[in-house]
Amino acid sequence: MNTFVDLYSTTSATAQLRRAQKITEEENEEFSDGSWGSQAGFGTIVKGGPSFMVPNVPDPTSFLRLHTDDHADPSCRIKIQHGTTTLAFRFQGGVIVAVDSRATAGSYIASGTVKKVIEINPYLLGTMAGGAADCQYWETYLGMHCRLHELRNRERISVSAASKYLSNLVYSYKGMGLSMGTMICGWDKTGPAVFYVDSDGTRMKGDLFSVGSGSTFAYGVLDQGYRWDLTDEEAQELGRRSIYAAGHRDAFSGNTCNLYHVKENGWQFVGNYDIAKMHYEGNGTGAGPYGYEPRITGEN
Amino acid sequence: MPGSMVAMTQPVQQSFNPYTENGGTILAIAGSDFSVIAGDTRQSEGYSIQTRYAPKVFRLTDKAVLAVNGFAADGNMFVKKVKQRLEWYRHAHAKDMPIRAIARLIQTMLYARRFFPYYVYNILGGIEEDGTGAVYSFDPVGSYERETCRAAGAAQSLVQPFLDNQIYFKNQTPAAGTQFPQHLPLTSVLPLVIDSFTSATERHIEVGDGLEIYVVVASGSTSLQGLQNLRGVQEVTGTTDGERVFVIRRELKKD
Amino acid sequence: MDHFPSNWGRPRNDAIDQYATYPIHSRPKDSFAEGVQRTQQPIVTGTSVLAFKFKDGIMMAADTLASYGSLARFKDVQRLHAVGNHTVVGAGGDMSDFQYIQNLLEQLIVDEISAQDHHTLSPAEIHEYLSQVMYARRSKIDPLWNSLLVGGFKDGEKYQPSNPRRPLPLTVYLRFLAYVDLLGTTYSASTLATGYGAHIAQPLLRKAVESREEILTEEQALKIMEACMKVLFYRDARSLNKYQVATITKDGVKISDSKTLDTSWSFAENIRGYGAQTQ
Repeated sequence: MNTFVDLYSTTSATAQLRRAQKITEEENEEFSDGSWGSQAGFGTIVKGGPSFMVPNVPDPTSFLRLHTDDHADPSCRIKIQHGTTTLAFRFQGGVIVAVDSRATAGSYIASGTVKKVIEINPYLLGTMAGGAADCQYWETYLGMHCRLHELRNRERISVSAASKYLSNLVYSYKGMGLSMGTMICGWDKTGPAVFYVDSDGTRMKGDLFSVGSGSTFAYGVLDQGYRWDLTDEEAQELGRRSIYAAGHRDAFSGNTCNLYHVKENGWQFVGNYDIAKMHYEGNGTGAGPYGYEPRITGEN
Repeated sequence: MPGSMVAMTQPVQQSFNPYTENGGTILAIAGSDFSVIAGDTRQSEGYSIQTRYAPKVFRLTDKAVLAVNGFAADGNMFVKKVKQRLEWYRHAHAKDMPIRAIARLIQTMLYARRFFPYYVYNILGGIEEDGTGAVYSFDPVGSYERETCRAAGAAQSLVQPFLDNQIYFKNQTPAAGTQFPQHLPLTSVLPLVIDSFTSATERHIEVGDGLEIYVVVASGSTSLQGLQNLRGVQEVTGTTDGERVFVIRRELKKD
Repeated sequence: MDHFPSNWGRPRNDAIDQYATYPIHSRPKDSFAEGVQRTQQPIVTGTSVLAFKFKDGIMMAADTLASYGSLARFKDVQRLHAVGNHTVVGAGGDMSDFQYIQNLLEQLIVDEISAQDHHTLSPAEIHEYLSQVMYARRSKIDPLWNSLLVGGFKDGEKYQPSNPRRPLPLTVYLRFLAYVDLLGTTYSASTLATGYGAHIAQPLLRKAVESREEILTEEQALKIMEACMKVLFYRDARSLNKYQVATITKDGVKISDSKTLDTSWSFAENIRGYGAQTQ
């Protein structure tokens, strides 16, 4: 009876609450039971996917374009962090993944310690180029779906399927301003695999990729040193050396290099290398500095 | 997405700018078993000072403190929503959400507004479940990273290089046979924070008026000594066992 | 993929989708929306509102003009609105939006009375309500185009930044004064001013009031207010020499009849560029 009265009453507490919500409702936020527990914002996964608030304007895309940063209009205040040089290649011993660690917002170096390799699960790595949040969020989301795949099918997801899942996901937001250029790397039944996925919807299988503003410099080193039968040490050194080259020549890349090696039983973190240190002192293996100045002085 | 459907059927205006910038600066530094989160208290718009006391740093739990900077209305609303979610968590689990979970929660909450962002830079500081000091910093759409120190806001570009030099010892060479410490003690961190803000106040028009420094200390930490008899310190801890939270309030120049 | 970092994270500049490759979000072409949409802007507007704390409570003032562009259209409009017995809301900006806000607040008070639970809304609660409404509307990109001051005497701030240890008289904890505008921005201070007042009167108010909040009597406060309104009338082209003053004290809300400013323009003759001069 009380609920019946509540339903039609205009002065009851619930009616007032309803009215207040109607006036102040800012978004149609529907909290699932998941929001109460530990599922955080991902609680909506049961309903098929997260939902996003879109500004109530005729053209939400140009709204976002107006308010987020751009080199053409540096006065835009919402500066989104950007990631920059990343590479991954397949070889006899698995997959090498190497990235720099610089994040820029305009010409300001927002961070020099960014983790641009995203550990999706113990067998899958993703790299980060483009909007840092886009990569972090969607690759975390991908990780959840990879786990669901394992639970449903009693076997690990293939790199191909995982990358296709991500590619389909970002394609459904095409044109709205997501930006990510990522390599999904792993080892599955087919052996080592690298897939390139970007926010335009491109998905490509390949042996060797580099993404970001420093990619041209990395490719230069990578292409001249790449062979399928590289040893593990040679391959790791090639990855390191390529990121060093990009960090040295590209203003948007630098600080440190993070190196990962994917093998048959999952990925391994190889190390973090300071690019300036590599230039002047070498990578710590005693091989000598990468910089050309020591070599010139050696000739003299 | 119901929002976008509405957009196509209703006539709406064009030139309204839903954002503004309210100045100020925030910073956080993590120690081995404590964390310091600070912000000035000036709120401004353009060349006008709106108020000399508008807090930007908020205690979330006994082990987490959140600093927000950018558009004040978005910031206040965001803090409110984070607090609401933390309360729900408390009701469901009868404990406070750990800080690394809060960090992920903040990411998903920010990213839910990817296409209509909160114009807010967040820095989350506190104590991790293993008792170490933590600082998490976020961009407006939710990319985040755990760090040792971070400055954000109007004077970010003034304060961060100073912190890089003094906390990370960037561009410094240790004396022969010595090493730089991994973490600084609270007694060295607090003067660095205060100096950062007095200097930012000198050189940035949007920084000044007041300073609020939150200190989160792990239970049993030796950093507690000397903290309690500091000038202008006040304890704001909610529970009796575990981490403790203090606020230190200082004046900054008001011109 | 665009490899240049500065172009990342936002929709692309070649927004015109040449080959229609954007499946879900091609630009909406809605002829109705295109035909009717206009820039929302305030139409009939009020100018500054001033308010500050004094010994016994809050004093707030606003002139009685509602302008239509540069036309002084309505010259007897009340811009101070009492909400319950403890609060006054003063508005600058669009007057129709303000009337809508008055409606909302009226409804709020009616609901509060109907509950018959002996609870009345405090100024802090009314301000919180207004800030939620204002922020929600800006988030719908459909703002209520106002700057509002909320002054009251019931619940107040718990913390005084100047010296938290100094014991303060009870009135300090009961006074409330805060601002909220069309963006949902809120703040509180011992002197507040909206619109032109924020630039012209606020410095005068700060000089006259700050650190004297516990000393100023109602008479002194009235003098300060009159001085500020006078300066505003001399310099703000959208103002009027008729204004009202609200005082909110332990005795409740008191909104005065409209007062007329006693102004003098004789000085203008001697100032080049001020009055009518041939050269």
